[in-house]
Amino acid sequence: MSEIPFSNVTAEIPIKTIDANLIIYICLIIIIAYVLNRFFGYVLMQVSERIGSYRTSVTLIIPLVKLLIYAFALYYIIIAVIEPSMTQILAFSGFFGAAIGFGLKDLFSDIVGGVVIILEKPYQIGDKITIGEKYGEVKNIGIRSTRIVTPADEMVSIPNFSIFNQPVTSGNDGDLAMMVEIDLFIHPCSDPQPAMKILKEALITSKYVIISKKYPYTVLLEDFPFYKRIRAKGYVNDLRQEFEFTSEVTRRAWVEMRKAGIKPPSVIPLLSDTDNNRRESKE
Amino acid sequence: MTDTQIDNSECSVIGYEEEIETITDVIKRIGSGALEHIAIISEPMGGRTTLVHEIQRLYKDRVYYFPLEFVITQSKIPDFRALSEDIILIDNCQFLATWKIGGFDLCNHFLNLLISSKKLFVTTWNLFSWQSLSQVLHLDAYFPKILLLNKMDTPVLKQVILSKYKKEEIRFLDDGATERSMFYSKIHKDVSLPFYKEKISIPWIKLNFSLIFWQAPRKNRVQISVEDVIFEKINRIARGNPGVGILLWEEAFKRREISIGSIPEYAYFISLDINESFILFIILSMECIHEIDLKDVAGSEIDIAQTLYRLVQQDLVIETNGYYRISPFALGPVIDYLKKNRRLW
Repeated sequence: MSEIPFSNVTAEIPIKTIDANLIIYICLIIIIAYVLNRFFGYVLMQVSERIGSYRTSVTLIIPLVKLLIYAFALYYIIIAVIEPSMTQILAFSGFFGAAIGFGLKDLFSDIVGGVVIILEKPYQIGDKITIGEKYGEVKNIGIRSTRIVTPADEMVSIPNFSIFNQPVTSGNDGDLAMMVEIDLFIHPCSDPQPAMKILKEALITSKYVIISKKYPYTVLLEDFPFYKRIRAKGYVNDLRQEFEFTSEVTRRAWVEMRKAGIKPPSVIPLLSDTDNNRRESKE
Repeated sequence: MTDTQIDNSECSVIGYEEEIETITDVIKRIGSGALEHIAIISEPMGGRTTLVHEIQRLYKDRVYYFPLEFVITQSKIPDFRALSEDIILIDNCQFLATWKIGGFDLCNHFLNLLISSKKLFVTTWNLFSWQSLSQVLHLDAYFPKILLLNKMDTPVLKQVILSKYKKEEIRFLDDGATERSMFYSKIHKDVSLPFYKEKISIPWIKLNFSLIFWQAPRKNRVQISVEDVIFEKINRIARGNPGVGILLWEEAFKRREISIGSIPEYAYFISLDINESFILFIILSMECIHEIDLKDVAGSEIDIAQTLYRLVQQDLVIETNGYYRISPFALGPVIDYLKKNRRLW
């Protein structure tokens, strides 16, 4: 079989005459792709909000649906312009890739990052993630960037390429529940036993908690020079209530601790002794 | 102590023969090895109390019956060691724990009493309370025999309901709605043939797809009588809960007659915020709880009066003399809703 030189392949690509009809057709494809994208995005989000515990299973497919729609749109645009054969498509892809690689490197990296996020799923829509210095709930995974909402209600757009050069932490890994650590610091002279019991019961009776074999809880004590730290670890039923959960458990626990004569420390605990404070400080 | 001989044929409750047998076996083994404390678990109105009354009837003199009707304090718990009876029967043990800080102390105290006792404890628990408490207190470790009362099948429910009447006391009416509720019905279709002027009537099977998909018929079921269709509908709405099934029957059975159209079917569109669903879970798991106890559980973060008002407005909860319970006909939808929101663990 004789090989076809690239120069011949590109020379033979039958590019159609670009007229008003073709431009309108391409515009129409882009508009339809955009509308379909918005439509499926909206419908799937609405469905996910209504099916309770299966929310994240539905949000998982949203980026995939978007990718497929854009891929189809691109395919139809290409065949509308050049009607290539398979060999020509392959050859053209090589040239196109090289051109993008040089000219639109960052954009292309983000798109590749987006595809990797969709296929490898380091996180998905609805997850609570930390990328670099940013922490929040993933609202959208786009072709170019991932949008997260921080606890301060700021929408942050993070380029998808960031997953290649920054550590990504997902607090829930696609689950609706997420582990939360709640720290209380008590005076070193206070008896930690009743304090641990109170914190444990504040956690297990919270309206936000979920407890099962899959979602266990624990209460731990650690001694520091000027205070004792009691740390409760438990799962919040819906990760959107992470901070309400922490606040409710802390408040109820302190009400009971005061009644039991347990005092807070006289020294303000170091930020490094509490992960929650560290997380808040990033915002 | 003499071992009372109980013949299982004496059992007068329908649908719980196996459970009675298990309990009888455990009671027979008292004194010969470790005690096997029993936990009987079911949904609200799931037949626990019926079973307990039967045990009480069978072992009259040996049983100390202690039914709980609301949240109690430690001082209300009798000194079981001082009792002469060797079987302690405690109904509705969910009232031993409340969902608040310090609310598990009484239950822990009871469990300590139980493991150090020489008497057999037969206890009943609300299913949802049991499931939640098991996660935090490991209840299952204290009860070697756990009897979960399953959903009741239609023939058993029918037997339970009909056992209260004489045959001639009930008339099952075919009000036309019957056909719609059957899995299939035999009809006659008029067909025109090209070579024959007159239309001919041929027998035809009409399938009721909605019912087939929702509830597949059992094997070998060929004909369904009006009576069976009525009980099938009752049990479908009651979702196998005998208490709800009996209430539905009582609602529909008027002047010694019942028809399929007279069986009420209620629709619920539940929309609750997190506080409301939490309080609904508490009411469901306690079965019957006073507003004061609910206030204790809710704490200062929840406006309990407003929350209860909303739940009553949606017909999910009913109030009697300050006590709140789930409306019997809303039981199924409420359980589904709370499961969907992972409120029931």
